Amino acid sequence: MHDGSGRIVVQNLTKQFGPVTAVQNLSFTVEPGSVTGFLGPNGAGKTTTLRMLLGLVSPTAGFATINGSPFGRLGQPGRVVGAVLEAQGFHPKRTARNHLKVYASAVGVPDQRADQVLQLVGLGSAGDRKVGGYSLGMKQRLALATALLGDPQVLVLDEPANGLDPEGIAWLRTFLQSYARSGRTVLISSHLLAEVEQTVDQVVIISRGQTMYYGPLDHLRQSQQSRVIVQPSDVGALVTALRAEGVQAIEQLPDGRLAVAGVTSKYIADAALKAGVSVYGMQEEQIDLERLFFQLTSGQYAAPGYPGTGYYVQQQPPQQGGWA
Amino acid sequence: MGLMGNLLQSEFRKTITTGLWWGLMIPTVLLAFGWGLGTGFLGKGFVDLASQSDVEQLSDIFGITPDQWRVSLFGIARSINVATIFPMIFGGLAIANEINRRTITTTFLTSSSRGAALSAKMLVYILWGAIFGLAIVLSVALGVILSSDSSQLPDASGWLALATAGLVASVLMTMFGVGVGALMTSVVGTTVVLLLYMLLVENGLSLVLSINGLEQVIGFLPNGSVNGITGSVAADLFMSSAGVVPDELQLALRYMAGAGGAFDWWLSGLIFLSWTAIAFVGGWAATARKDIT
Ligand SMILES: Nc1ncnc2c1ncn2[C@@H]1O[C@H](COP(=O)(O)OP(=O)(O)O)[C@@H](O)[C@H]1O
Ligand SMILES: [Mg+2]
Repeated sequence: MHDGSGRIVVQNLTKQFGPVTAVQNLSFTVEPGSVTGFLGPNGAGKTTTLRMLLGLVSPTAGFATINGSPFGRLGQPGRVVGAVLEAQGFHPKRTARNHLKVYASAVGVPDQRADQVLQLVGLGSAGDRKVGGYSLGMKQRLALATALLGDPQVLVLDEPANGLDPEGIAWLRTFLQSYARSGRTVLISSHLLAEVEQTVDQVVIISRGQTMYYGPLDHLRQSQQSRVIVQPSDVGALVTALRAEGVQAIEQLPDGRLAVAGVTSKYIADAALKAGVSVYGMQEEQIDLERLFFQLTSGQYAAPGYPGTGYYVQQQPPQQGGWA
Repeated sequence: MGLMGNLLQSEFRKTITTGLWWGLMIPTVLLAFGWGLGTGFLGKGFVDLASQSDVEQLSDIFGITPDQWRVSLFGIARSINVATIFPMIFGGLAIANEINRRTITTTFLTSSSRGAALSAKMLVYILWGAIFGLAIVLSVALGVILSSDSSQLPDASGWLALATAGLVASVLMTMFGVGVGALMTSVVGTTVVLLLYMLLVENGLSLVLSINGLEQVIGFLPNGSVNGITGSVAADLFMSSAGVVPDELQLALRYMAGAGGAFDWWLSGLIFLSWTAIAFVGGWAATARKDIT
């Protein structure tokens, strides 16, 4: 039924909820042996994509496979893929242990497995408490325990850090890395790069339902570039001058200054002089990863013509990394 | 254990790991027992009244004296019908609760297909319908036996027929609930709709139909057909022991048994099964395609 490869393939996936296009022509693959981060701001379409991958939402177009097979044809999906999803529920009156036993039967593993995964996620002593009394973090742990019941080859987690304390996050990080290192596939979504930066090897960055970058995180790191912050006398004139010279990566900062990437400060000074614009101040700045992530995804909120934010935002593609 | 066996065990565990089953079982038993007891007393009182000389012509109608009328039959059928409301609600919550609590996500993530998960659920609830049915029949019997004279009670084969009809009715009511719950997907909606319809709406409708001489239609309605299962068995049993019963009285007897306008018990069962199938297929179609977000 499935090829056992541990590979996740998302191919031209599109989902339309009435007038809302949640996911648009999304494609990427996730290979086993590494932790892949699935990143994008709120509303970017992460949850919808993962739910389509897991057969919970039917795509409007395109397809997604796990181990070469759509979810519905995995046969015993619980043995192949485990998932921790947002808004995945528990019956408040059921104890954690009973919850796990219910799904242990469905997955087809012995009841002892329920105790094992309870211990594994650190809920061993709370197993006989009703889930209604659990904190958000405990529920996240229980969701992970449920996902691990079938000892799956592929693990999919949708914003699993939500509700976890720092200790829990650190634990999850170590756990996921060792899980991937044993040759399995881990796909983890987040709206914060910083949250998963130390966990993931690969990233898929999406914005407004479309892939913005997909490839190794290291390539993204290497592509970090410097930018120049400049305070001109006439913002509009300098922007026009720079764009006339083919400079696209111009962004207006909230304080009114311009951030220009891809060119030196000397270049900007010359351009300003030619355009007859005075420069009151200029400084070079290294763009950090978070900044880059924001740039890649800011299109969602800082689209050209959108009032209030920089008007000239253009995505500057990183030099390396696979582009979708 | 095969895949289906796994899902059956999983679905059964779901039902016994929350308090809902006994939360509904207690009122079921109490109601069934209370109705059995109450209708037993009523029947007995009626027979005592009828045995007084001034209504003696009644006994001529049946060809036997009132102290031999098996009046408890009517109460038994009615009590069973009332008590099966609870297994129906139990079934109604099966899928609605999972959607409401969002456990349906995990259920679908751990089953080979949505169809398999829904089938396993239905099978488990059929079993629960039978368990509730058994509890109902036993509770009603206890109540009736305590309050009736032995001459008013059914004979062994009568008991067997009524118990079977009660079990069938309870199973079907549970399945009907499962279907409606799958269709409505809301816990409150399902409960309110099931209760309102079965207890009020259809009874009002039946009254209107009877007044207008359209009582045959009642037998086609959900409540009319499911009540017809036990009601027809009870009415048939009464008449078979009462000798010759005039036609116009037969109708009155069937109304008394809760089988007014209803067909034979097996036909009533088939009609109600069709309603169950409609609800379940509709619910299945809705659940099988639904985006779980
Ligand atoms: N069931 C739904 N009906 C309508 N719109 C939806 C539904 N689910 C998600 N959306 C919309 O799809 C977009 C993507 O949502 P989502 O996949 O949850 O994003 P993310 O997980 O990245 O925050 C959002 O605009 C959201 O409002
Ligand atoms: Mg989300």
